[in-house]
Amino acid sequence: MNSAELTPWSVLRDGVRLIARFVRGHPFAFAIAVTGAAVYAGAIIASSLVIGWVTDTVVIPVLDAGESYSGLLLPAGLLILGVAVVKAVGIITRRTGAGYLQLRTRQDLRNELLDHQLSLKMSWFDKQSIGDLLAVADADVDQGTGVLGPLPYASGVVLLLFGSFAMIVAIDPWIGLGATIGLAVVIAVDIRGSWITYRMWEAVQVARGRVSSVAHESFDGALTVKSLGREGYVSERFGKESDELRDRLIQVNSTWTTYQTVIRAMPQAISIALIVVGAVRIEAGLLSAGDLVTVAYLLALLAFPVQLIGFVLWDLAGSQAGWQRIAAIFGARDFIDYGDLHASPDAGAAGISSAAVGFTYDGSATVFEGLSLDLDPGVTLAVVGPTASGKSTLCLLLARLWDPATGEIHLDGRDVSLFAGSELPREVSYVAQDAFLFDDTVAGNITLGSDFSEEEIKEAATLAGADEFVDDLPQGYETMLGERGTTLSGGQRQRIALARALIRKPRLLILDDATSAVDPSVEAVILRSLKSAALPSTIVVVAYRPASIRLADEVVYVDEKRIVAHGTHPELLASTPGYARLVQAYEEDARRIEQEAS
Amino acid sequence: MSDVTTGQLIRRALVESPALASGLRLTLVMAMAGQAITIVTPIVFQQILDDEILNPNGIDLGDVLTRASVAVFALIAGIIIGRAALLRLVRSSSIGLSDLRTMTFDHLLRQSVLHVQAERRGNLVSRVTSDVTTLQEFMEWGGVSLVVASSQVLLATSVMFYYQWRLALISLVGVFLYLFLMRWFQRILRKNYDRVRIEVGRSLGVLSESISAIPVVRAYGVEAETQGKVAEALEDRFQREFRTNWFGNSLFSSAEIFAGTLTAAVVIAGVLIGAAEGMTAGELIAFFFLTNLLIEPLQIVVETLEFSQSAASGLRRVIEVLDSEIEIQDPEEPQDLPPDGLSVTFEDVRFAYDTGGDVLQDVSVKIENGSRVAVVGETGSGKTTFAKLLVRLLDPSDGVIRVGGVPLDNVPLEQLRSRVAFVPQEGFLFDDTIANNVRYGRPGATDAEVFTAFHELDLGDWLAGLPEGLETQVGERGGALSAGERQLVALVRAWIGSPDLLVLDEATSAVDPSLDVALRHAMERLTRGRTSVTIAHRLATAENAGKVLVFDSGRLVEQGRHRDLLAAGGVYADLFADWSAGTKSV
Repeated sequence: MNSAELTPWSVLRDGVRLIARFVRGHPFAFAIAVTGAAVYAGAIIASSLVIGWVTDTVVIPVLDAGESYSGLLLPAGLLILGVAVVKAVGIITRRTGAGYLQLRTRQDLRNELLDHQLSLKMSWFDKQSIGDLLAVADADVDQGTGVLGPLPYASGVVLLLFGSFAMIVAIDPWIGLGATIGLAVVIAVDIRGSWITYRMWEAVQVARGRVSSVAHESFDGALTVKSLGREGYVSERFGKESDELRDRLIQVNSTWTTYQTVIRAMPQAISIALIVVGAVRIEAGLLSAGDLVTVAYLLALLAFPVQLIGFVLWDLAGSQAGWQRIAAIFGARDFIDYGDLHASPDAGAAGISSAAVGFTYDGSATVFEGLSLDLDPGVTLAVVGPTASGKSTLCLLLARLWDPATGEIHLDGRDVSLFAGSELPREVSYVAQDAFLFDDTVAGNITLGSDFSEEEIKEAATLAGADEFVDDLPQGYETMLGERGTTLSGGQRQRIALARALIRKPRLLILDDATSAVDPSVEAVILRSLKSAALPSTIVVVAYRPASIRLADEVVYVDEKRIVAHGTHPELLASTPGYARLVQAYEEDARRIEQEAS
Repeated sequence: MSDVTTGQLIRRALVESPALASGLRLTLVMAMAGQAITIVTPIVFQQILDDEILNPNGIDLGDVLTRASVAVFALIAGIIIGRAALLRLVRSSSIGLSDLRTMTFDHLLRQSVLHVQAERRGNLVSRVTSDVTTLQEFMEWGGVSLVVASSQVLLATSVMFYYQWRLALISLVGVFLYLFLMRWFQRILRKNYDRVRIEVGRSLGVLSESISAIPVVRAYGVEAETQGKVAEALEDRFQREFRTNWFGNSLFSSAEIFAGTLTAAVVIAGVLIGAAEGMTAGELIAFFFLTNLLIEPLQIVVETLEFSQSAASGLRRVIEVLDSEIEIQDPEEPQDLPPDGLSVTFEDVRFAYDTGGDVLQDVSVKIENGSRVAVVGETGSGKTTFAKLLVRLLDPSDGVIRVGGVPLDNVPLEQLRSRVAFVPQEGFLFDDTIANNVRYGRPGATDAEVFTAFHELDLGDWLAGLPEGLETQVGERGGALSAGERQLVALVRAWIGSPDLLVLDEATSAVDPSLDVALRHAMERLTRGRTSVTIAHRLATAENAGKVLVFDSGRLVEQGRHRDLLAAGGVYADLFADWSAGTKSV
């Protein structure tokens, strides 16, 4: 939605729709909350009636007419107290119902968001910024449902307003007319003020975001800033953003303050006017002093709730802003299509065959065209190529984390896209360069909640070259990792991620530069033991280091969106100049130095 | 620091940022004067009721109108004064807090914690964002309400005492009981809120982890387990939040019952006392209104007090930053560096962080002017710390470092930074153009100079290949460029400052062969003719160096030429064997 089209009325209209959507989820809680609000509104009106009645039957007769006080004094006190109790019950009911509605809706939305994102294609996920997705699940859900908090109260205030007007009109039509006009003006000013300050507030949020991003950037780059001696410049840059925020804040708060002062004073001005009108009506014998007190007391009680109407508009506008970002995720319909094939995880290493595979990134840039790859079961294949040549894409296609635009990929003769949800991973394990570790124990990170014995965990970790350092951790395999746990080096993280894949004894193991941060000699040991281990796996490994490439049975050289060559390492060295250049670039250093040394 | 009172914190903040309190006294007087007007309504109401409406001689409408007009004028005057006061408060607090924020930022930027404990950065950003925002919100909403509400309470009480002191005393006692009760409730609730915060944090942790891990979850087919884990954490959170919500609602609505009791007490006592002491009906009715005027702001005061606690802890954290020492200080008695080439000596240097054991010890070395030195060692051997000490990003715990014969901590920082360049491993770029990123190395360099710098390092072709040349935006943290390209820009940035001593931390990540050639070539040009110290991750660098320094477990264990070290068969020879294993293809 274009924000320029927003008006208070569009906000109100769309806001009602949004609320209706939320209320449909938990209608009972909403009904309870509104009932509570109605009780509360009734109690406020009743309290002013009671005050009027007490004035007429007790206060004036005793204090003004000098009568001795009747037995009504104690009942009058109890009546006031009784009304207060009803009011308290109304508040509890309203707020508890509203709290339930709001908290449950938030819980539902967060669960739904995760479910929805899990069912979308990786190509969608890849285009999102993780930070934004997290912000939607956290802050936007809170903001989007923000309006549910004050909603029952607001509906209570509306009831209260109608009830009050009805009563004031019943007491005296002229005073009723005056009060209606007066409060209508207050509400109009309130809505206008809220609307204007809301728009200004959006600008404040933008300025606040800039202050925060400049701070983040500067702190992240602190080492560079300091080594260049540019602290002064960077501080000045931050100061400018900070002052921009300051000016915006002064602007919005000045406007807000002005409106608030006027809105607070207006009910008082109306009260004074009503006293004058009331005096005229009493003089004419059409009104009692008690009635006038009732009306004035009611107006005094209304002054505060009326101020809150403007806030509801804020909440409505804010909720819609948050909701739009939530709806954008629910609106993504790029679902993964699953078939109904079941995995046969125990059938030994799986062969790969594929034909005419094409892949385009984001529907525009072509990454692959007419790619064919056939691999016998149990072979170790190295994928080699320059940066951005499509090595990772090939891995992601094999693991069906992405889908090809054309062609098919078969695993052991079965189209990978025909597997049912969560089935393919029982045969294929994919390990990325960036080792993601969960906030869990070492063992939990390896099993990911599946059932594996301690021996199996240890065996997989040993094979991944992780057993030794895990044993040295304070609680061994039970040591907490991740955000609140022990920090591991990049190479150690990668080895845990590797163990996670190995424990599943996959029929196809894909290592996308998965040991890049491991020391070269350790990497060589791991790859060598993978080859000699009794794994039922075909292995596809993206490799940079010549030593790793050398370990593979076969090599594919990927460049310029296609497989340029497929064969053994010596074959490719002889037949493919591009391959030879790339591999030898690393090797040259070593050779020259060795020659010099000898 | 934690035993510092809130009052001391506020005084401290006022010293740092005097704008906060400028004209505060006048502002307070004006705010009270403005607020005094709210009392006009009940008084006028009482007077018209007693003198006119209940007057047995009938109502003088002219007099009613006169009194009402006076009240309306007073109201308008009150609005104007009150608004002016609030505007003053808004201005002074916004200006003062912006100053405080910039000051805190500057102080943090000069501390070593940002690059020593990188994991704390996110936390430190909140010193200049959310902590200052808490203060800002307190000043704008809380502070204003506090001023307005407390003056309202004060005035309402005074008028009550004027009408009937005994009745006023009943109200006052009631008000204090009420305040006490609310504070007590809050203390009970705060414990519950703490538990809510823990659950909220936990559920968000699980949720955001699961979203970040979507690729892993997909790759391992653990969707159901992940959903279950998240659903469980969210349910725990709901239970805790809902229970606290219900509990809080019940506590606070009991306040309504209390307000009812107070009004009932005023009616009963008022009639009894009034009948005995000759209080008028109008006065008692005015009391009803005054009681209402009293209770409402009290709720605001109580809420503000709660608010003020989070503001106070925000302020405490900000002041802690301002009080923390800046480790690297400009010298009190500065000494200039010699005009040309710079040599380096380390004499018995030891370094340890406050929190741990020695990172470096017994380091003594001499690096001749114009020589090319490579530093090697395993991860954690101390080679990066050696570099940071050399460029004075850290100060040694013991020992002396001299550059050009001058003790490093005697060199004015500005001079040091312009003569000594450090290129960290990760070429950090700001979200700006290529040209502006290079200018961080020499402020005020013209486009032509930046352009020439690229050509001098033979990077003209690379630059020409960019869509908008020097004006290309590099994106957040240089994300639009590859790691190798960022490194290139960082090298140009060092080059344009024409330093006499260059300290380079080579990147470890693999880069494209073509880019790799460009990078190596640029580094070669950059180090030629000046003293250079390179933390080496590749064989060629060590091999080409005039001298290799080998670090192991925080000690300088070997130094000499590549060939000699290799022949000696020590730590260096082992490292070299490891490297070679990874690079051989046949």
